[in-house]
Amino acid sequence: MGSIEGVLTGFQVAFSMEGILFVLIGVFVGTFIGMLPGLGPISAIAVMIPITFGMDPTLALVMMAGVYYGAIFGGSTSSILLNAPGVSGTVATAFDGYPMAQQGKAGKALAIAAISSFVGGTVSVILLMLLAPALSSVAIAFGPPAYFALMFMGLTAITSLSEGSTVKALISAVIGFMVATIGIDAQTGTQRFTFGNANLLEGIDFLVIALGLFALAEVCTLIINRKDLSIDNAHKLGSLRITKNELKEMRGPMTRQSFLGFLLGVLPGAGATIASFIGYITEKKISKKPEEFGKGSVKGLAAPETANNAATSGAFVPLLSLGIPGSGTTAVMLGAFLVLGVQPGPLLMTDHPEIFWGIIASMYIGNVFLLVLNLPLIPYISKILKIPRPLLISLVIMFSVIGVYAINFNTFDLYLLLLFGVIGFLMRIFRFPAPPFILAFILGGMMEQAFRQSLTISNGSLAIFIQEPIALSLLIVGFLSFMFPLVRLLRNRKKERV
Amino acid sequence: MKKIAGIFLFVIFIVLASACSDDTSSSDKDSNKEWKPEKPIEIVAPAGAGGGWDTTARMAAKVFNEAGIIEEDIGVVNKAGGGGAVGWAYIAGQKESAYNLFVSSPPIILVPLNGQSEYGHEDFTPLANMIADYGAFAVREDAKWDNLNDLFEDMKKDPESITVVGTSSPGSMDHIQFVKIAKAAGVDVKKIKYVTDPDGVGLTQLLNGSVEVFSTGVSETVEQVKAGKIKVLGITAEERLEGETLSDFPTAKEQGIDTTFVNWRGFFGPADMDSAAVKYYEEKFKELSDSKEFADVRKKYGWNEMYMNSSDYKQFLDEQKEDIKSLLDELGLGK
Repeated sequence: MGSIEGVLTGFQVAFSMEGILFVLIGVFVGTFIGMLPGLGPISAIAVMIPITFGMDPTLALVMMAGVYYGAIFGGSTSSILLNAPGVSGTVATAFDGYPMAQQGKAGKALAIAAISSFVGGTVSVILLMLLAPALSSVAIAFGPPAYFALMFMGLTAITSLSEGSTVKALISAVIGFMVATIGIDAQTGTQRFTFGNANLLEGIDFLVIALGLFALAEVCTLIINRKDLSIDNAHKLGSLRITKNELKEMRGPMTRQSFLGFLLGVLPGAGATIASFIGYITEKKISKKPEEFGKGSVKGLAAPETANNAATSGAFVPLLSLGIPGSGTTAVMLGAFLVLGVQPGPLLMTDHPEIFWGIIASMYIGNVFLLVLNLPLIPYISKILKIPRPLLISLVIMFSVIGVYAINFNTFDLYLLLLFGVIGFLMRIFRFPAPPFILAFILGGMMEQAFRQSLTISNGSLAIFIQEPIALSLLIVGFLSFMFPLVRLLRNRKKERV
Repeated sequence: MKKIAGIFLFVIFIVLASACSDDTSSSDKDSNKEWKPEKPIEIVAPAGAGGGWDTTARMAAKVFNEAGIIEEDIGVVNKAGGGGAVGWAYIAGQKESAYNLFVSSPPIILVPLNGQSEYGHEDFTPLANMIADYGAFAVREDAKWDNLNDLFEDMKKDPESITVVGTSSPGSMDHIQFVKIAKAAGVDVKKIKYVTDPDGVGLTQLLNGSVEVFSTGVSETVEQVKAGKIKVLGITAEERLEGETLSDFPTAKEQGIDTTFVNWRGFFGPADMDSAAVKYYEEKFKELSDSKEFADVRKKYGWNEMYMNSSDYKQFLDEQKEDIKSLLDELGLGK
């Protein structure tokens, strides 16, 4: 069997002195950059590309892969501590991670995130190793109708992400949809809502909205509520130790989301974001105590953290075995491959087994390194919260500004950041939840494109969505999960009346 | 506490250092004399890191310095946004400067024609074209068509049954290169069904059978052809390309469709650049194009040599614009 030989070659590469050294460098740089608010894997990989010039391709790519999953691993930190997600994959992490930190359990929250990330990362690497060649057919199984159905399923999360008024959640989602339409429409090349401004042609970047709605809005709230400072617990780090009970709680989400996250990661275009959202809502749906979600639930933190790391390994399937980048981040990764003269694709495994299997094998070590690097650092990192409030607030603002500026080096984005900060603050005052906004923004754009691609292909017939089995089943699941809370609501009302 | 502050400072330093790269905008006017750069030169890639523009700019800068063709440092700066429009607007603000160059390709003609940029190639000084790339039209390995004419015959009979996918939106490169060849073969271009897959998943849609034809660059098809997943029905070059697998791709021309589409790539400066500086760069780019080092770069990335000096380049661009404009007008996309 050629592939067993290949796997062995891979381990040889990964466990060589240089292999271990470069994995270490990669994950260290990745996790460090990922931790910074506003900077995610794209910035981390882009920073490292010039360094790889002239390096041995295998070692360089082992390092770059480490940068990539290291950045996802570290990305949870700023979500948990500062409510400032640096990548779309860690937005869901903030839902329960930030409340947990605010309750004085920052250390524990970071430890849960690190362990879930480790489990998600490791389980998915095993899956990757066993299934990568076979899964390349799964990666292309989704046509536009199936993507539409998948996004639809993800959107049904809106009803479960809303605390309080469902109507307000829906309004918030609709605004998110509207913002997603800004820019050049890919299917017609027409400009939408750009008002002739060249800076809006490519639409609004995710980071601008995430940092505005989450980080800046949080900062405004902190400033307004400054009187309460003396009584809150947020500056406490709490114990790192995870109790047996908590570990037990984590076990379910970690097992399920390792698999689900990996599978969603395999689909080009779905990736860590959708995996983390779907991970979050499935765990909430099957939880016996869904009311705890959003208020610092252990499960609500473990689920998206496991899922986004598992999805990151999954994303290597289409990248390595088909040469198809499934996201902005993997597109930059593909660029890193090409710079080194390596063309990922169906032939990579046979032509360069040392690269194909070397990267995968190195991910085992990488994940162990990440856990070992991150756990002891937690007490130091969470000390960020001990920084006096006025200083911390300034730092959050500064990093949000740097993160947004680093996207395009364009000052226009900074005005947008400010605008979304104000919008986010107003939404809080009037109790419009921000998660449905950001979910609709992320999924809305892709969903619309998939919908219109489908209709072009079918010459306008909606039947295309029910003819394809994958699309049909996803639509049914989505529809059921949308109706379920409504039915429960109606039933409860009836009971009340009786 | 101190450690953290240290880390923060370090990062701020890195970010600032990368953000504040050299901003040069003064002008040297000495038209009769020979001109030579006296400070670092900036090349803008009007797109993010890792793409075609970025790679071309970085490779040119690298060879310029390493082969000692230009002594002054050359920095590559990414100015992404608006399909190039943001970077062009930046260069347009550097009038007369001989230190701000940028790399460009057909989008500088297409994007303004689509009404998405107020600046077009006329607003800049073409310095030299360097390389050419070509489009390829691929179908699945098991598709019923074996050449472009079979495909186009079916498109004439039943345009609704065939969907073309590309990475860029209608009116931009992937679309226009297909439309141009199809039109020459007598297909009613208004009936072509074209979908955009901006996330670069066009290949997925081809492989899983959602669409029939993938319009892309030649180099993007090679791996999949070698793996026996897709076949290339035609490429848009004048003659067959050199190289393993590449030389197997038939041109549209040899199939009796008398037209081509070149994805040229070259360098520009701001408007009103001093003529001595234009002359300087023209010669240096020629030297670069002829160097062994750049030949290796071309080979590595599968680019073809296509040098044009400033005046030839300008004339070529004007002709290209006329061609494409009439095509866009026919499609109803012209602005």
